[in-house]
Amino acid sequence: MGNFGQLMDGFAVALTAHHLMIMVMGVLLGLVVGVLPGLGAPNGVSLLLPLTFTMDPISAIILLTSMYWGALFGGSTTSILFNIPGEPSSVATTFDGYPLAKQGQAARALTLAFTSAGIGALTGVLVITLLSGWVANFALRFGAAEYFAVYFMAFASFIGMSGGSPFKTLVSMMLGFAAATVGIDTISGEARLTFEFDELIGGISFLIAVIGLFGLGELLLTMEEGLKFEGVKAKLDIRVIARTVAEVPRYWATLIRSALIGCWMGITPGGPTAASFMSYALGRRFSRRGRFFGKGEPEGIVAPETADHSAGSCALLPMLALGIPGSATAAVMMGGLMIWGLSPGPMLFTSQPDFVWGLIASMYMGNIIAVVLVLATVPLFAFILRAPFTVVGPLITVVCVIGAYTVANHMFDVWLALGFGIVGYVFKKLDYPLAPFVLAMVLGDKAEDSFRQAMLTSDGSPAIFFSNGLVATMMGLGLLLLCLPVISALIKGGRGPKDGTAAAPEGRSA
Amino acid sequence: MDISRSTMDIAAACVTAAVGAVVCYGATLNGFAWGPSGPEPGYFPFYVGCLIILGSAGTIVQTLLRRNAAGHTAGHADADSFLDGERLRTIVAFFLPIVAMVAVSAWLGLYIGMGLYIFYALRVAAGFRTLSSLLAALAVVAVNFVIFEKLFMVPLLKGPILEAFGIY
Repeated sequence: MGNFGQLMDGFAVALTAHHLMIMVMGVLLGLVVGVLPGLGAPNGVSLLLPLTFTMDPISAIILLTSMYWGALFGGSTTSILFNIPGEPSSVATTFDGYPLAKQGQAARALTLAFTSAGIGALTGVLVITLLSGWVANFALRFGAAEYFAVYFMAFASFIGMSGGSPFKTLVSMMLGFAAATVGIDTISGEARLTFEFDELIGGISFLIAVIGLFGLGELLLTMEEGLKFEGVKAKLDIRVIARTVAEVPRYWATLIRSALIGCWMGITPGGPTAASFMSYALGRRFSRRGRFFGKGEPEGIVAPETADHSAGSCALLPMLALGIPGSATAAVMMGGLMIWGLSPGPMLFTSQPDFVWGLIASMYMGNIIAVVLVLATVPLFAFILRAPFTVVGPLITVVCVIGAYTVANHMFDVWLALGFGIVGYVFKKLDYPLAPFVLAMVLGDKAEDSFRQAMLTSDGSPAIFFSNGLVATMMGLGLLLLCLPVISALIKGGRGPKDGTAAAPEGRSA
Repeated sequence: MDISRSTMDIAAACVTAAVGAVVCYGATLNGFAWGPSGPEPGYFPFYVGCLIILGSAGTIVQTLLRRNAAGHTAGHADADSFLDGERLRTIVAFFLPIVAMVAVSAWLGLYIGMGLYIFYALRVAAGFRTLSSLLAALAVVAVNFVIFEKLFMVPLLKGPILEAFGIY
């Protein structure tokens, strides 16, 4: 129990009035950043980074991580209230969070999301506490082939477990891959799919796609449906919150499953986005109430939120222990560590125990503070919902346009987002699932890079993906997931074809 | 002018197939063979493009089959409507001002673009009084200015008019 003693020392470092104040400030800033789509956690952390150069490293990292927690929670708020994911990792929360809010249970949906997110985050921090020493040895064995196997599993689970038309899922996912390959190829340095347009050299940011597909596309749908948005009313009642918190333990199976997925995907660099999608898909498959997913099912909120946050906290583990950032935000923080004069990696645990364990202790505190603060700000956001859509709609539009611009300060991106808006509108009406598109865009180039790096090390032989027990197990699991629809169809046998009645969650608004 | 769902399904699939073809063509510019040290840069995009065409073709076939089946059983082929004239007008009335805002923003800067857009949306679409619409538009511009220029130090596009007033 050496880790436990060190954790107690860490609490002694983190639990000062000064650090608690920094946590509150960081969480509040993070909430603002998370709520604004297009101004995400990586963006917010990099904007805040220059302000931390004069602070001591432990205060600085507490401020940045607290902001990260706040942004993760804030992203869920807009997902549920506006159906606009503030962060790519909270896309899966919109599937059930928004329908539940539309049914007039916004307060319940938010409380469910925050409570399960808090549980997920604390599980993640607990895993960091217990495993930080051991994981360094394990993850040192990760090569490009293993990374690819992890991504492959994420994609396969999505194809294998989504309902609806397989052709439309395929087209949606492949369009995402195609969009991700636009720009400079990181391995050969060649420009791909740019067709001599200078604007496309830098590639298409997934944030632009998310803002267009989910933000503007949904606005168009809501407009067409005749302003149903007005119907949402959230009475924020302390009793509703208390009752919902008491309701959470009932979903223990979903909580445990999602936390496990989240920890696994966070430590292996699948990241929170893949984790929340995978957890949602698995939840729909294995929950007894799976067929209600997409219509405002509480478990459909608990599953992605728990996984998202446990992966989000676990993503810091490989950053600290190995110097491999598990997410974009972790990468920015790692840059900060080096500027403050610390070198991330296994040595950090021996040379700077105060820093590492102070940070881990602050993660417990920061997440608890984040849950309390985000619940306290719910009335503010519920209040916004009471405004008529003719007023809220244009305001969201302005936020989307500014968000698209601030991604890279290009007006071209704004035009691109408008295009994605039309695509999102048409695709949603035709029941194309949009989540595979975003997943492929976020992870597509990483998956391709690791595949080709693996090929470079193996001289072009695909046998590298089955060269050791670890990578072979992961590839095998992925292939199994890919074949799941065929297998389950064979088991069900002559029950007759469903013919698309198992609509994808995105189909709800059609 | 009603657009039926199956027509739209086929039209969308044709567009995605065309996108797939463009992706395939673009990939051939980089070389898409399996070289001595693994795939060349165009290898992935080429087969991604092929899969897009394949998936689009699948959707077209599925839609045509379903339309024929529906035609035989129910007697009317296109029961589902994708969009009718009235809804189309609502969408266009909402979307065109957004396009106008982006066009104005690209020319005169984001602050002027968003101010004009909010004023238009509140005055014309929501039917507020001129004075309250004007005040609300100014408030939106001011709040965004403080948040982005002062709090987060993210400069938004200013355009020639604001620059003439010395605001960069």
